[in-house]
Amino acid sequence: MSDKNFGFVIDQNRCIGCHACTVACKEEHDVPVGVFRTWVKYVEKGAFPDTNRHFGVLRCNHCDAAPCIEICPTKALFRRADGIVDFDNSRCIGCKSCMQACPYDALYIDPNSNTAAKCNFCAHRVEQELSPACVIVCPTQAIIAGDLAEPTSKISRIVAREKVSVRKPEKGTEPKVFYVGVEGDLLQPSRLVAQSSYVWAERRDDAKTREDFDPLQTREVYDVSHSTRWGPKISAYLWTKSIAAGALLAPAILLELTRRAGNLFTVVCPLLALIALAATSLLLIFDLKRPDRFYYLITKPNFRSWLVLGGYILMGYGALATAWLLLGAITGAVPHLLTWCTAAFAMGTAGYSAFLFAQAKGRDLWQSPLFLWHLLVQSVTAGAAVVLLAGVATSAPMEVLRDSAMLLFAALLLSAAMVLAEIALPHATEDAALANRSLVKGQYRTQFWGLAVGAGFAVPIVLSALFLFEGLTVWFVIVSAVLALAGLFGYEDVWVKAGQVAPLS
Amino acid sequence: MKSSLPLSPDALALDAPAGGLSSYPPSDRWHDWSEYDPKEWPRKVKKRYGLIPTICFNCEAACGLVAYVDKETLKIKKFEGNPEHPGSRGRNCAKGPATLNQVMDPERILYPLRRAGKRGEGKWERVSWDQVLDDLAARIRSALKEGRKNEIMYHVGRPGHELVYNQRIWHAWGIDAHNSHTNVCSAGARTGYAFWHGYDRPSPDYANAKFILLLSSHLEAGHYFNPHAQRIIDGKTSGAKICVMDTRLSNTASKADYWLAPWPGSEAAVLLAMCNVLIRENLFDRDFVSRWVNWPEFLREEHPNEPQSLETFIEILKQMYAEYTPEFAARESGVAAATIVEVAHEIARAGSAFSAHIWRNAAAGNLGGWQVPRALVFLTALAGAIGTRGGTSPSSWDKFVPAPPLMPPAPNAWNEMMWAPEYPLASFEMSFLLPHFLKERRGKLAMYFSRAYNPVWTNPDGMSWMEALSDESMVERHACLTPTWSETALFADYVLPMGHASERHDLMSQETHAGRWIGFRQPVLRVELERQGKKFNFTYEAHREAGLGEVWEEDEFWIELSWRIDPDGALGIRKYFESPYRAGEKLTVDEFYRWIFENSVPGLPEAASAEGLTPLEYMRKYGAFEIEGNCYGLHTMELSAAELAGSTIDPATSEISKNGAAIGVSIDGRPCRGFPTPSRKLEFYSKTLKEWKWPEYTVPTYIKSHVHRDNIHFERNEILLLPTFRLPTLIHSRTGNSKWLYEISHSNPVWMHAADAERMGLASGDLVKVETSIGYFIDKVWVTEAIRPGVIACSHHLGRWRLQENSGGERWSSALVNLTQDGQGEWKMRQVHGVRSFASGDRDSSRIPWEDAGVHQNLVFAVQPDPVSGQHCWHQKVTVTRASEQDHYGDVQVDTNKAHEEYRRWLELTRPAPGPENLRRPPWMIRVYRPRPEAFRFGG
Repeated sequence: MSDKNFGFVIDQNRCIGCHACTVACKEEHDVPVGVFRTWVKYVEKGAFPDTNRHFGVLRCNHCDAAPCIEICPTKALFRRADGIVDFDNSRCIGCKSCMQACPYDALYIDPNSNTAAKCNFCAHRVEQELSPACVIVCPTQAIIAGDLAEPTSKISRIVAREKVSVRKPEKGTEPKVFYVGVEGDLLQPSRLVAQSSYVWAERRDDAKTREDFDPLQTREVYDVSHSTRWGPKISAYLWTKSIAAGALLAPAILLELTRRAGNLFTVVCPLLALIALAATSLLLIFDLKRPDRFYYLITKPNFRSWLVLGGYILMGYGALATAWLLLGAITGAVPHLLTWCTAAFAMGTAGYSAFLFAQAKGRDLWQSPLFLWHLLVQSVTAGAAVVLLAGVATSAPMEVLRDSAMLLFAALLLSAAMVLAEIALPHATEDAALANRSLVKGQYRTQFWGLAVGAGFAVPIVLSALFLFEGLTVWFVIVSAVLALAGLFGYEDVWVKAGQVAPLS
Repeated sequence: MKSSLPLSPDALALDAPAGGLSSYPPSDRWHDWSEYDPKEWPRKVKKRYGLIPTICFNCEAACGLVAYVDKETLKIKKFEGNPEHPGSRGRNCAKGPATLNQVMDPERILYPLRRAGKRGEGKWERVSWDQVLDDLAARIRSALKEGRKNEIMYHVGRPGHELVYNQRIWHAWGIDAHNSHTNVCSAGARTGYAFWHGYDRPSPDYANAKFILLLSSHLEAGHYFNPHAQRIIDGKTSGAKICVMDTRLSNTASKADYWLAPWPGSEAAVLLAMCNVLIRENLFDRDFVSRWVNWPEFLREEHPNEPQSLETFIEILKQMYAEYTPEFAARESGVAAATIVEVAHEIARAGSAFSAHIWRNAAAGNLGGWQVPRALVFLTALAGAIGTRGGTSPSSWDKFVPAPPLMPPAPNAWNEMMWAPEYPLASFEMSFLLPHFLKERRGKLAMYFSRAYNPVWTNPDGMSWMEALSDESMVERHACLTPTWSETALFADYVLPMGHASERHDLMSQETHAGRWIGFRQPVLRVELERQGKKFNFTYEAHREAGLGEVWEEDEFWIELSWRIDPDGALGIRKYFESPYRAGEKLTVDEFYRWIFENSVPGLPEAASAEGLTPLEYMRKYGAFEIEGNCYGLHTMELSAAELAGSTIDPATSEISKNGAAIGVSIDGRPCRGFPTPSRKLEFYSKTLKEWKWPEYTVPTYIKSHVHRDNIHFERNEILLLPTFRLPTLIHSRTGNSKWLYEISHSNPVWMHAADAERMGLASGDLVKVETSIGYFIDKVWVTEAIRPGVIACSHHLGRWRLQENSGGERWSSALVNLTQDGQGEWKMRQVHGVRSFASGDRDSSRIPWEDAGVHQNLVFAVQPDPVSGQHCWHQKVTVTRASEQDHYGDVQVDTNKAHEEYRRWLELTRPAPGPENLRRPPWMIRVYRPRPEAFRFGG
C-alpha cells in the first residue's frame, strides 16, 4: 500500500487563463477535438468600469470517495494506491454512468475508442516520477501537483496555510483539487448565466442560454461544451422495464387477490414480460458506446455498481418469467411460491433503477427518496395497463378486465400523488430545484404537464373511473390504458432529461 | 537524478520538487529516453525517444521546446518546454504544445508548388526544387546585373531568419531588400522609445518590480507573452501591484490591481498627468534626472537666456506640464482623476522598481500614438527606473546577437519602395503602403519573396494587396516561403514549403528579462537521424527520409540560391556563401552555426568543453545558452582605456566623441557609455524632431488621435472600433493549422458595451454592419461590460478564408468564400460556408465541432500611416447599424479606389525628407539592414 495521496492545487491568483494546460493535456494524451480532460472556464462579474474576468481550471478531482468508481460496472475506473483515480479503457463498456455519477463533468466518451476517459493525473508520468503535463507547461506555475499525505510537500503546505476551496463539497466526494483565490460563482455553475455565444467561441450546448443581459449576474463567458449523456434510449429502457416488471407484478397481485387464473395470466403476461425484458436488455446494450463489450457486465463485474446488480436482477427475473411461462403453458397454473418469487424480482426489476440513479451523484433530481416507490407504482400502472390491453385482445372475462382496471385506477392515483408530491415538496439543493423548475415551468413544461400529467394521469384516471363507476363502455378503459402507457413514457423521458438540466461545471 | 550543471539557475530555483515529482527527464538521458505510452496506459508499454531541443515558431518570444522524436517511427510524439532555456524556463503557452498540430497537419504543403492558372485562381502543380531555384536565380541574377537592385524585395513576418543572419544575404547581394511587418505592429512603440534612448524597445524587469504599468497585454499576447507572463506573475506574487491601461478588459487587465480603461488615444494625456503629479509634488528622482536626462541640451536650445541649471529646468517643466492636470486627463480619458493620482503615487513609491511596458496597444492604434511610449518613458525616467533592478531597461541590454561568419559590407543602396522619402523618421519600412507605391508606379518588383508573412490577410487594405499581387506588371515574380497556407500564398507564383519550429535552423535571442541568452532552433528529425548515423547534405533530405515531403529550411535555401545566382563568383556574391573551414566549398548549415558558436558566443566554448562537447554539440544538446544574468545599468559602464584613446570631450555638452561619432558621455567626471542618442543621454528633448520639421513634438506631448472623442458622432451611429486585440491562443495567421487552438477560439464577435447595445436595440448574436471609410464587414455582436461605452472591439485573430474547397487554406480554421470584383475596385467577399469537417489521415478532421471561422475585418481598413513613426494607426471610426436581410455573416465589401484616396489623404500629413544636409534619415536613428553612410544622402 502506497503511503502517497496525490492531489492538485490550482492557484487562480497566478492563473492567467491561457489554456496552455488544456493543450498540453491534449498533446500528451492525444485527446480528440470536442472533448477535454482539463479546460479553462471564464466568468465575468460587475458593471463597467468595475468589471472583472475570472478563470477556473476544471478537471477530475481525483476524489477520495469517487462516485464514478462506485457506479462503474466493470471496474474500468479505479483508485490507485497513490490516490490517483485512473481508468482502463480496455474494460470500459461505454455505459456513461460514470458521467452521471461525477458531479464535475470530468468524464467524456472518447470518440475514437468509444470509451470513457478523463484526467488520470498523467499516471504514466507519475509512475516515472514526472509531474503531469499540465503542471510543467503552466507559464505561471499555477498548477501544483503533489502528495497530500506528505505534510512538508508544497501542496500540503498550501492546503494547510491558504484559504482553499473545492468544487461541490456537499456531494461528499472528498475532492482533491484545491483552489486558491477562485471566484466563488465560478465553482457553482447553476448560478451563472450565459449568452448565445462566448467571448471567442461558439456555444454549442444550449442549456443555459439567457438573452437578457444583466450586469448583476455572473456571466459565463467561456467554457467548453458537455453533451447530454443519457437520452431517449434510457427513457425507453425505464419504460420497457416498467412494462416488463409490471406484466407479471400486476398479474401476481391480481392472482393473489382474486384467484382468477386463466390463459391471460399464465401465458400471455409472462410472454409479454419476456418480450419487454428482451427489449429492455437490447436498449441497455445498444445504449452502450461499446455494445460489443456488454458481456463484461458478467465477466468483469463491479458488485457495488447497481448496473451490475440490476443486470443480475434482470437475469433472475427473466429466468422466473420463463419458468412462469413454461409452467403456465404446461400446467395451466402458476405455483404460489413462483408467483411470490417472481413478484419479488419484478419489484427488484422495477426498483433497482432508483439505486442506480442514486449512484448518479451528479444528478440531484434523481436523488429523490420517492423515486424507488414511484418506480414500483409505475410498474404496477404499466402492468395493469398491459394486462388490460392483453385481456381485451385475448377476450378475457369482463371481471378480469374490471379487476385490472381497478388496479390501473389505483396505481394511477397513487402515482399522480407521488408526482405532485415530488414537485411540490421543497428541494434539497439548487440543482434539484433547477431541474424541477424545468419540469414545472421551464423547457419541459409542455411534455410534463401535457403528456406525463395530462395524458398520463388526469385523462386515464377520469376515463377509468367512468368505466369502473359509471359503467361506461370498455373502450374508455382501453383508451385509458394506452394513455397511461404513453404518459409513462413521457414521464420517464422528461425525468431523464430534467435530471440533466443543471450544469455540472 | 537531475544533472544540474547546464540547467539555468533560474530554472533550478523554480523547479521545486512537488511530492517527489520532477518536471523534466534529466538532460543527460535526453539522447535515449524511454517513457510509458499514454495511449496504452495502464498497460506499461515503453517507447523510446530522442529528446531534441528547438524553438517555438509561433510568436516572437522564441520559447524553448523539446521535441520527443520516436526512435522507431521518426514521428514527433510531443513538444514539451525546454528547462535549459533561460527565457521560457521549461514552460510554454498553449501555442507551444500546439506545435505538434502544426507539424502533423494533414494539409501541410510538402512539395514546392507552381501556379497552374492565373494568380489567385488557386490551381497548383508540383515542381522540383531545382526548377524553382534555377528560375529564381536567373531572374535575380539578371536584375542584379542590370542594376535593378530595388526590384528585389524580401518581405518577412518572422519569427526567425532575421537580424544579421538575414542581413548577410541581402548585403552579400548588394541590395536593400529587407521589408518587414513592423509598421503594422510595433513602429509606434519603437519610435517613442527610440527618441528617448536610441534603443527601440523596453526590457522591464517585472520579477523584481514593485509596481508594474502595462499598456499591453503581456499576460496573453505580445513580446514576449510566456516569458513575460511568468515574470509579471512572479512580481505580483512578491507583492508588486499591477496597473493595466487598456480600453478593453484584457485577460491581463483582469489580473491587475488597477484597470484603467481610457478612451482610445487619450493614454498620453493620462501618463503626462501622472508625470505632472510626480513633478509638481517633487516625487521624482532628482538625481537620476539631473545626471541622465538631456535637460542641458533642452535649455541650451530652447531657453538659452535662462540660467542653465537643473532648477530652471524643473521650473520650466512644472509650467510645461501644468496643463496636464489629472482632471484634464480624466476629461480626455474617462479615467477618474483620483485613480490617476493614486497610480502616480504608487509609481513614486516604487521608484526605481517601476516596470513599464507599452507594446502595440495605444501606440499602434492612434495618430500620434508614438507619443504614448514617449510619455511612458518620461514617467519611467522621472521615477528613476531606467536600467535598474525592478525597473525598465532598453531591450538591447538583454539580448545577444552573435556575429556570423563572412559578414559582407553594407551596400550603397536605398530602397524607396520601403524607405519612402515622405517618412524619413519611420521606425521600419513603410511596408503596408507597398500596393499604393506600386499603383503609383514608384517602381516594380522583379522578384518578391514573402516569407512567413501574410499581408493580404494581416495588413490593412488587403484588397489593394490582392490587386497589386495579381498584377504581373507590378510584381513580376512572387515566391511565398511558408510552412503553412496563407491568403497571400494564393497570389504567389511559387509556394515553397519551409520548415516549421522543429524543421529548420535559427539563432534566437529576446529581451525576456534582465539577462542575455541565445536559443537554437534546429531540424530535430535531421538531428535524430544524424545521431543514428545517417548523413545529409540538406535538411530536406532528412525530411524526405522521415516522411516529411521535401520541406526545406531557409538557411540552405539562401545559400543554394546565392550559389546559383553567382555560380562562378563573378558577381562577388558566392564568397559569402563559402565554408569558413573548407576554402571555396559551399557553406553548410553545420559550419555556419559551428563558426558562430566557436567564435561569437562568450563563455560557450568553455561551457561546452567542460562537458566534453564542441560548442555546436552543446547547442544541439541543450538548445540554449545563458551568456549572462542580472544586466542592469549598462549606461553607467565606463568606456575602456582603448575606447577612450583618441577621443575628445566636448566641454559644453560633456559628450565624448571619437572619429566624429559620439561614443559616450562624461557624468560626474566618469566617462560613461550612456545611450545611443545624439546626446548620449536620455532625450526628453529631441533636437532631431526639430531639425526634421516637427518642432511642436520636441518633447513628450499629447497628440489628439484621429479617433478622439470629438471626432465620433454617436448621434450618427458612429462609434470607435478597436480592432487590434489578440487572443492568448492564436498568433495572426500562423496558427491556422492547429486544431487544438481553433477548438478553443474560433469566433471574433464585436464586443459592445451593454449600454450601447441597448441604445441600438442589439443583443448578443445579432448581426451588425460595421462601416469604415472604404467598406464594411458583417459580424455578430457580443454584449459585455468589459469595454468602455462608446467603443467596440474586435479581435484581428479570426476570419481566415480560402477560395477553393479542397486547397489553398487550412480547413480547420478557414471559411470557404466567394470573392468577386465588380467593375473597378469594388470587391465583395461572401462566405459560402464556415469551418466544416473533412476527410484526412487525422480522424479529428471528420468531426470538427466548430463552424465559425470568424470575420476578416482588416480588409475594410484603409491605410492610415502616422506621419512621424510610419505606424499604421489601426483604430477606426466606424458606423454601426443592424445588418439587413441581404447581409450575411462574414460579408466584406471594399472599394479600393476609396482606399487609395485615403492613402493620399494621410500622405498629405507628412513632412518629407530631405532633412539637414540633404539626408534621407537621421543617421543616428535605428535603420535595420543599415546601408553605407553615403546611401543616407539623396544622390549619395
